[in-house]
This record gives sequence, C-alpha cells and structure tokens, in this order.
Amino acid sequence: MNGALLTTTIGSLPKPSYLQKGRNEYAAGRLSREELSELERRATREVIALQEEVGLDILVHGEMERGDMVAYFAEQLDSMAIGGLVRSYGNRYYHKPVITGPLSWNAQMTVETWKFAQSLTDKPVKGMLTGPYTMVEWSFDDYYESRRQAVLDMARVIRREALELDRAGARYIQIDEPALHTRPDEDLEMAIEAVGIVSDGLSAKTITHICYGDVERIYPDMLRIPVQEINLALKNTDFRLLDLFRKTPFSMDLGAGVIDVHKHETESVEEVKEGILRVLEILPPERVTVNPDCGLKTRTWDEAAAKLRVMVEAVREVKRERGIE
Amino acid sequence: MLTTVVGNYPKIPNRPRPARLRNAINRFDRGEITLEELRRVEDEVTVEVIEEQVQAGLDIITDGQIRWEDDQTYIARRLSGVSIDGLVRYFDTNTYYRQPVVEGDLAWTGPITVADYQFASEHSPRPVKAVLPGPYTLARQSLDEHYTSLGDCVMALAAALRQEALALQEAGAPLIQFNEPSILKHKEDFSLFCTALAHAVEGVRVEKALYMYFGDVDGIYPAVLDLPFEIIGLDFVMGPKNFDLLGEARFTKRLGLGLVDARNTKMETVEALVDKVRIISDSVPLDNVHLSPNCGLEFLPREVAQAKLGRMVEAARRSQEVLA
Repeated sequence: MNGALLTTTIGSLPKPSYLQKGRNEYAAGRLSREELSELERRATREVIALQEEVGLDILVHGEMERGDMVAYFAEQLDSMAIGGLVRSYGNRYYHKPVITGPLSWNAQMTVETWKFAQSLTDKPVKGMLTGPYTMVEWSFDDYYESRRQAVLDMARVIRREALELDRAGARYIQIDEPALHTRPDEDLEMAIEAVGIVSDGLSAKTITHICYGDVERIYPDMLRIPVQEINLALKNTDFRLLDLFRKTPFSMDLGAGVIDVHKHETESVEEVKEGILRVLEILPPERVTVNPDCGLKTRTWDEAAAKLRVMVEAVREVKRERGIE
Repeated sequence: MLTTVVGNYPKIPNRPRPARLRNAINRFDRGEITLEELRRVEDEVTVEVIEEQVQAGLDIITDGQIRWEDDQTYIARRLSGVSIDGLVRYFDTNTYYRQPVVEGDLAWTGPITVADYQFASEHSPRPVKAVLPGPYTLARQSLDEHYTSLGDCVMALAAALRQEALALQEAGAPLIQFNEPSILKHKEDFSLFCTALAHAVEGVRVEKALYMYFGDVDGIYPAVLDLPFEIIGLDFVMGPKNFDLLGEARFTKRLGLGLVDARNTKMETVEALVDKVRIISDSVPLDNVHLSPNCGLEFLPREVAQAKLGRMVEAARRSQEVLA
C-alpha cells in the first residue's frame, strides 16, 4: 500500500474478557483446544471489525492466540520447551522458555491465523513474528555453546516462517526485536545479521519494532538493520529521539509511536497532532507510518479503541491541514 | 574450600509444589490475609530455602532474601529521602525493579535486615552471611534528584549502609557482604567506589566480602585487592577474562569464585567445574576459595538452582580430592 501517514498498530490488542476466561479454563483442562480456538476466532473478528470501524490503514490480527511473544513460538518448536517459573519483577513470574536442542522449523506457526484475519478484510493484515535475537535473549539455552550459534539458527527458523507468510500473500511482515539493544556493544552486529537472514529477499514490506531502553545507544547503527521500516516509541520519551534524527538523518521509513500505551488516559487529538507534526519536521509524510508506541494489550478494550480513534482523527486533521493525499 | 551463594534464592518452586509466597502476596494485596499472616509465610519460606541450601551442602548460606522485592527496593525504601518509582530493567536481564528516587537527604533510620539475619541464623545449622547492596551500585540503580553529584549520593549511601553493617555486626553476623555489580560497568568511578566502600565498612571488625559480577575486573585489578575486605568475589562466567587477570597479579585475599552460571539453566558438569578450579588453584590456594554461582540464583527456576548447587558442592569435594 502506498500512501502518506498510513495508520497502524504495533501488533497486540487487549484480549476480551471471555477470551481471558477461556484461556484460564483451557489451562485448567476444562476447555478443549477447539473450543478455545473458536473463542480466539471470535475475538479476532472483533479485532478486525474494530480496526475497520476506527479507520486504520494497515491492520493486525491482534495476537489473540498468543500469551507471550516468545513462548508462543517456543511452544510450537520441537527444539524448545516451556521451562520453570522465574521472577519478572515484584510478585510477577513467568515460564521462561528453554532451547533444548538444535533449532529447526517444524511446521507453520502463524500462517493459518494470518490467513483467517486477512480473509475478514480487504485491508492488508501484517504478518507478525518475534525476531531471532529476542527469541534467544528471552529464553534459557540448554543446548548451544555460544549465543551467536543459537541466534543464527533461530534466524533460520524465523526466516522459514517469514517465507511461509510471504508466500501466503502477506504484504507486510513485522519482525519484532524488543531485546535488540540489550547488549549493543557485544551483540548488535550479530542481531543485525540475524534479522537480515529473516528479511532477505521477501516481497513483503519488512518492519521491525524496537522499544524502550537505550534506543539512543544503537543509533545510527540501527539504520543498518535490513528492514524497510522501524517502529519506535516516541511519545513516552516526549519525542526525544527526534533530536538524534536531526544529527544523523533517519534513512528508513519510520513507524512513529505517537500514543503512550502505558497510560490509561486517552491523549487529546491536539496532543497527538502536535506529535505527528514534530515528526514531519524531519521526515516527509510518505516515509512515516503512524502508530502507538507499543502493543496495546495492556490497555482495556475501551481504552485501546479510544486511543486509536484519537490517533486516526489526528492523522486526518494533519492531512487536511497540510494537503497530504 | 568453602561453598556459598551470592545472595538471593528463587522464591517459589514449580508444580507440584505450591507457590506459597506468590499466593500469599496476592491474597495480601487483595486484603484477604493480614500482614502478620504474610510475614508468617515469608518466615516459613525462608526456613524452606535455608533447608534447601543446607541440604545442598553449602558451608555458608544466606536467608535467600525471600522478603526482598528486588535487590534495591528492600533497602532503599527504608532509608529516609527515598521514594520508589516505576519499573526499569535490571542490567542486561529480562527482569525489572522499581527504581528508587533520591528526593532528599539520605539517612539510615533504623535496622533494616537485622531481624532477618537473626531469624535466619536461629533457623540455620550453618553460618549465615548478611548481604547488602553496595553504596555505589545502589546509587547507580537509583535516580538522584537531590544531590548535586553522583559522588555525594554514593557517600551518603555509604554512610547509611555503614549504620546497617554496624547493626548487623552488633547482632552477631559473622560475615557481611556488599554486592557491587555496577562498578564493572563504570570502572572510571573506581576511586569514588573505593572511598565509599572504605567508609561503609569503617568500624566493621567482622569478616567482610565484596562481590562484583556481570563482568570482569580488567582495569581495576589488582587495585581491588587493596580494599578493606577479606573476601573478594568475582564472576568467572560473564567475566572469563578474570581467569587471565588472576594469572597476572597475585591474588592476596580470599577469593569468591563465581563459577556456576546462575543466569542459564544449562547444567555444568562436575568435570568442567573441577577443570576451572584447577586453573584458579595456580593463583589461589584452595583453602582460600569460596566457590559460588556467579550471581544471585533468582534468575533460575528453583529446581534448577537447587540442582546446580548440588553439582557445585560435588565439584568442590572432587576438587579437594584431585587438587589437594
């Protein structure tokens, strides 16, 4: 899809309460896999309907079938397992996945869900993958001798899944790498190489999402990540990253995060417009996609919907005022 | 050779064992149990992890820091001048802590960990060491909105932590340890670091340990040996360069030998651990070694931590047989 200031979201949307309940029931063995899948399809229909109603340009399937972005893939790979509980912070714990053997792709993991979502709309739906560096970084590794070996093998696994999505017709493929800047001095080149293995020669437009932490530390090196667009959280640091882009031009397409996903309050249209205009001071509208900072899954359904409505309205006003087609 | 841990221990076990502490905190947050009931569960879980450490065969244990929200908050929120803010990432891990914010003059207002030490000591057949965050790391992990320089903030924390160390000494703690991972990321602050730690242990006559992990001591070794600590703990997992450094200058203190990877589940073999102890034994007599994981064990599932401690104790035993 060509155009200026296209609107989209990062990937996850809140799970409706009936689905939350269904997931708990399934975990407790009181609901069958097929019954849960039916609830996931129902939620996906609602997610697509919401995005169409709000008027977004590029849709997501909302990740109704995913709990955690790493565990979802780990559960489906024969060479990974779901490990014991470790503490994330405070009284929060999660089952950290474990690499248990040589990583290899064994079956499609995302294509069926993508196809279902795409069948519900004429607008493009993004294919959503977790990137190889993040997959390894957020897992234990019982098998490999070095992180590099694990990351490159994981890249080949995610590459195969990307190809499956590409062949199925996905026009946008997003390779999320929120952990990419964990150890920039040691690992950034390896992470860039790994994302390159995934994105190489795909016909879809490729996107990556990096969030929070020291994004500054990997700029301008991040411009060498072999994708066409990077989604960045701008709003929650009050657009501080734009100062960096003034010093060294941002040479890719930018997915500009203009909505804070960690606040309950809905931004005003004026506030979001101002953010978009700040981005347009340094990049032409054809190179900017407008999105929230990060996935919306931690918001309520109503909060997410309200934030997206404001975002779309702000884009409409900016386009009207600036005469952007 | 003695065996020990660096600090924290996983708080909850996996199924089929119940996650009692997690459930108790959830119930307390919902107002279903009283603070007293929560404290009782914390005590029971502390006894449980003491027993696990003893069972694994450790010579020196900790209370597992079962009551600690994270490595900073438990201490910081009991000092005056500090409030606790939002979540930030803890080093290069996928774990988070609530960041202390220094908003006013820092001061120690009373014992923080003394009752914990006493409780653990009463319930352990082995010596219990008291573990505190070091002043430099605590300052680095906090957001300072009050002092005009990092140095002022670090020295104020050193004074506060000294009070805590003196209180622990008074209560009979045989060994007091400061954990200082942050210095390995900011070696340029080494002289401030030394001044602060020297102040923090002024008047502390019991044994003192200083543990630095998540990297190597290249650039500050052998200078770290001049610090007034009897035991210096180093990380040989994330800082493999430490092996070379020890060969370059004589290690004059007792060594906290962090050999077991506390951040990954892959099990070390006893043979591999003994091989590494052998390298170290060229520089440090085994009698002067405290073998341990490279950092706190909380990054691991409880059962893996337990299994790793078992391997470690076995490696210590085997090393003494083979290398004595």
